[in-house]
Amino acid sequence: MDSSGAESDPAGGATRWTWLAYGYGALVVCALGYGLLGMPVQLSDSLNNIVEASQGSLSHLLVSNFWARGYLRPFLWGLIRVVFDLSNGHYFEWFRGWHVAQVAVLVALFVALLRVRRATDAAAVPLGLAALIGIHTFWGTVREAFPINTFMTILLCCYGAAWLALGPPRWWRDVAAALLVIFAALTVESGLLVGVVFVAAWLAGARGLSRAGVAGQVALVAGYFVLRFMVLDIGSPGLTERSSGFGFGMIDRAELAARFGANPLPFYVYNVGTSLLSLLMSEPRGGIFVTTQRVLTGDWRLLNLVSVGASLLGTCLIAAFVWQRRGEWRARRFTRDDQLVAIFLAVAAANAVICYAYTKDVILSPAGAFYALALAVAARHFLARTSPTMMGTAVASVVMLLLSTGWAFRAVAAQIDLRHAAGVVRGEWVYVDRWLEEQDVVPATDADRAIVAQLHDDAVFRHPMRPPLVGHWLKWFEE
Amino acid sequence: MSRRAALPGIAVVVPALFATVAVLVFAVRELSGTTPLSNGPMRNVAEAAGAGQSSEVLRLLRDGDDPRRFWPVRPEIISSYVTRPTGLEAAIWGGRNIVELLDQRGFIADDGTRVHLTCLAKDAGKTEVVEYLTASGAPSCETGAAFASVKDRSLQR
Repeated sequence: MDSSGAESDPAGGATRWTWLAYGYGALVVCALGYGLLGMPVQLSDSLNNIVEASQGSLSHLLVSNFWARGYLRPFLWGLIRVVFDLSNGHYFEWFRGWHVAQVAVLVALFVALLRVRRATDAAAVPLGLAALIGIHTFWGTVREAFPINTFMTILLCCYGAAWLALGPPRWWRDVAAALLVIFAALTVESGLLVGVVFVAAWLAGARGLSRAGVAGQVALVAGYFVLRFMVLDIGSPGLTERSSGFGFGMIDRAELAARFGANPLPFYVYNVGTSLLSLLMSEPRGGIFVTTQRVLTGDWRLLNLVSVGASLLGTCLIAAFVWQRRGEWRARRFTRDDQLVAIFLAVAAANAVICYAYTKDVILSPAGAFYALALAVAARHFLARTSPTMMGTAVASVVMLLLSTGWAFRAVAAQIDLRHAAGVVRGEWVYVDRWLEEQDVVPATDADRAIVAQLHDDAVFRHPMRPPLVGHWLKWFEE
Repeated sequence: MSRRAALPGIAVVVPALFATVAVLVFAVRELSGTTPLSNGPMRNVAEAAGAGQSSEVLRLLRDGDDPRRFWPVRPEIISSYVTRPTGLEAAIWGGRNIVELLDQRGFIADDGTRVHLTCLAKDAGKTEVVEYLTASGAPSCETGAAFASVKDRSLQR
């Protein structure tokens, strides 16, 4: 530990604490993976995508989506097609297994990024992983799939980017970084945050990428904008494409146009601001001040209050870390922990800006994932700085207990929500014919009909519903 | 970890660790055949219908359960007064979608059954189900009689 209380960078090899942290991560993957395997491939958002991705060749799919109007997401479709082909008809096993594998890699990267070497490092891992799973921005990455959750793919790309950037300098990291940003940006728009990770890490002194490598990142991101706006003329989401959260409720497209059509800037500022608040305080959610409204009307839920409390406490801990390290930062002396927190701050800002036209929990998932890392860093820093007095130890213990309890509560709520969502999805599959009719979708070929039948049978017969949970205690975990 | 950091360290580890272990223990118990904190698996089509679990209704129909016959239903599924309904009767408490599902599969074949179910839905205050069943005309019902028959049957067990 240096004079400021920051842990010096433990560059040594793995210790027993390292393996303990990975072991705990494996337990977390098992727990979440069990929930994920209880969820069938979804009907809405997934069936059409699978059917569409199964048409023609992979190259045709990529090219046609490269030139598609409205979105620039060819690799989103390419990935679905690759897993579809690999599955050879075992859709549930492959698509749901893919989701579990993504979570496993994400957790492994989380532990790797924290670089656990000592007991204080290991002690922060359960809290960090509880925050990773429990934060509201993460829920959409596990509750839904299209049938591959694109947002989860971007989380992996962002963590992968941080891992590349924080490692020792190697030429191949530049190459891998370039490939990663191209893949992420052409998967979904928030993939551009991968570039932010690389640049922020470099500015914070990480030299895994060379100067040329970082310049390449900037060039690739600039190239994306040129391609999107000047070559393909795709543009960006308009103000009135969808209804949006504002204040204490939703405002529909007509009202959006009436209130902000002439000057959308205040609405965009609102979205960016509320996105940041949501990340740091869990309030508002999707632009709506849900918890505030419920408290004002006396209809509050325990989970709402716990979420806001845990986030506030966590944010204070991160802020305290930044405050304590400000001198070193000004002198441009960064430890690995500093770099992780700096990346979080940069991704949080950029992610909030991406939400300018439309804010939603899951769009903030990259910033949420780095929030969990920053919280773990701040917690181990806090543990290392605990005052030796009895009072200091007692206060620190209470703070840690409250923080961990709050985030653990949210992580359990995420598991319960996942189980509930699995029941809802199965219910949708029962009425698949009605759904197809409502969507005006008719499976055109025998192959399409076979896909529908297979997914239906997977959801209802082969992987039947797990018994719903019952009890008054469930109310504690309701939003 | 220094001795001074041990207590806060334990404080930060224990709750999160406990949550993970609790979820894992739950998963292991469920995989071994017991689902804690639940009523367990639905035992027949009437239980599934009464609980509103449409996917389980469909699965149990495929396995051969007949929703027209009487089934034992645990009191915690619908109520302690409805423990021996037919699958169709239980579906009244499961909601409109379940009734519709069974109707579309031809299990509400005769007018007598439809009238009985309509009157039962009225007694149970299930407006949506009543609306669905009376799309082609509402029968006259003696208030409380349909539910009383289901209740009497349950009490006779």
